[in-house]
Amino acid sequence: MTCLEFQRELPEYMEEGGGVELQAHLRTCTACSGLVRSLESIVQEARTLQASEEPSPRVWNSIEIVLRQEKLIREPQREGRHSIIPSLRQRWGIAGWLVPAAAALLVGTGMLLYQQRPAAHRLAGASTPAAPIAAVAAGDVSDQQLLQEVSARAPMMRAAYESNLRDVNDYIRDAQDSVNANPNDEEAQQALMDAYGQKSMIYEMALDRSLP
Amino acid sequence: MQRSQYAIELTAIALAALAAVAVAETKKEYRFEVQAKSKVSIVNQYGSVSVKPSAGNYVLVNATIYSDKVEVDQSQSGNRIDVQTHLLPGSTVENSRVDYEVQVPSDASVSMESSTGPLHAEKLHGDVEAEGANAAVEIKDMSGSHVHVKTMAGPITLTNIRDGHVEIDSVSGDVTMSSVTGPLVRVSSTSGKILYNGDFGYAGEYRFNSHSGNIEATIPDDASVDVKAQSVRGLVQNDVPLQPKVHTSFLVKQGSSFAGTINKAASSVWLRTFSGRIHLKKR
Repeated sequence: MTCLEFQRELPEYMEEGGGVELQAHLRTCTACSGLVRSLESIVQEARTLQASEEPSPRVWNSIEIVLRQEKLIREPQREGRHSIIPSLRQRWGIAGWLVPAAAALLVGTGMLLYQQRPAAHRLAGASTPAAPIAAVAAGDVSDQQLLQEVSARAPMMRAAYESNLRDVNDYIRDAQDSVNANPNDEEAQQALMDAYGQKSMIYEMALDRSLP
Repeated sequence: MQRSQYAIELTAIALAALAAVAVAETKKEYRFEVQAKSKVSIVNQYGSVSVKPSAGNYVLVNATIYSDKVEVDQSQSGNRIDVQTHLLPGSTVENSRVDYEVQVPSDASVSMESSTGPLHAEKLHGDVEAEGANAAVEIKDMSGSHVHVKTMAGPITLTNIRDGHVEIDSVSGDVTMSSVTGPLVRVSSTSGKILYNGDFGYAGEYRFNSHSGNIEATIPDDASVDVKAQSVRGLVQNDVPLQPKVHTSFLVKQGSSFAGTINKAASSVWLRTFSGRIHLKKR
């Protein structure tokens, strides 16, 4: 089993545990076993946050208002009328999960960056945080699937998206290296958030508006 | 006889060609009466959107449609106008173009999108949002507006924008600003250049950051700024005499960063890039 094949089966592994082949790959592959450990730690941390920091209903209302203003959620279409802006699922089928996946990637990275500020003092000598690296690895898979969708819908735009994704991934890597070298540098953290913001913008443009 | 038959055939061909053009290109006009501070949204797939002020409290949309594989949907809900290009079965990038020319009250808020563009807005006081992956965006002669622009590769040109928030995000499109001032001007780029020519106004915050794109700012002698510039791996060059600052938030290193003030340091300017070059020039 290759790493790419393992990553395709990763959601099933995280939910149900893996088969013999998946387990065998984990025993022999340090990259994939590191990825699994990082994702498990994200899941664990998310559970503790949910319990202690549940936002008030007003926060969710405010988020809904902003999402409606940004046209990311809309009223249901009337029957018999062509949907002008189809839902992600109708328009993209199975690839419709790419948008929430990209959003989860950004939120997860933001949460981990926020948590790292006070934690950096306690974890003396801690190695490079594995979760943001895991986020980048998961993002590479998403990038390839995004480009496949762009190729299917508007082949002439694939080269532009590929080139810009490459530039943004370089930005993310450099920004991540800066944060790793200086965890308390707020400018470095801001640069990393800016880099992920640029990537999120590319995903949004590709999936929501620009393609027929 | 042969000559007249030839002439008839030529005429028939010419008429057929004219008919084909007439079918291919259709102009439609929509007019909406609105109150103050209306909201106008133009969502286009391929083609231009140009927005200018109207003479009264109305929104006028002129759409040029280039094929029968695309149609324009428009609606009004109170003070909100929505215009969208609707792709029909059989539409492709090549046959889906629609060009919009729109007139709006100068206090209207405008949102426009097109993946190919170009997008243009001028002489408005309301907020303007422009978005398009490869669209060239030009916005000029605005005051008191919040201007938000997002492109992936489309170049962005802002001219004479005053007294508003300006937020620009482009991955590889070059951003060119002339006489752009306001309480907040933020530009983020990955590989596109950021070029600024102006005096940075008074009491504003200017933040230009990129990954590998070069940043160049040209200022007059009477600019009043507190400027910091840093390139992690690239070079920085400063042609403007600066009063050194006593304390800075980073270590100033010759060739990689500089910090200082000019005149009364009214505006704060922060130029940052990872591997691009930074050049502060005198006009």
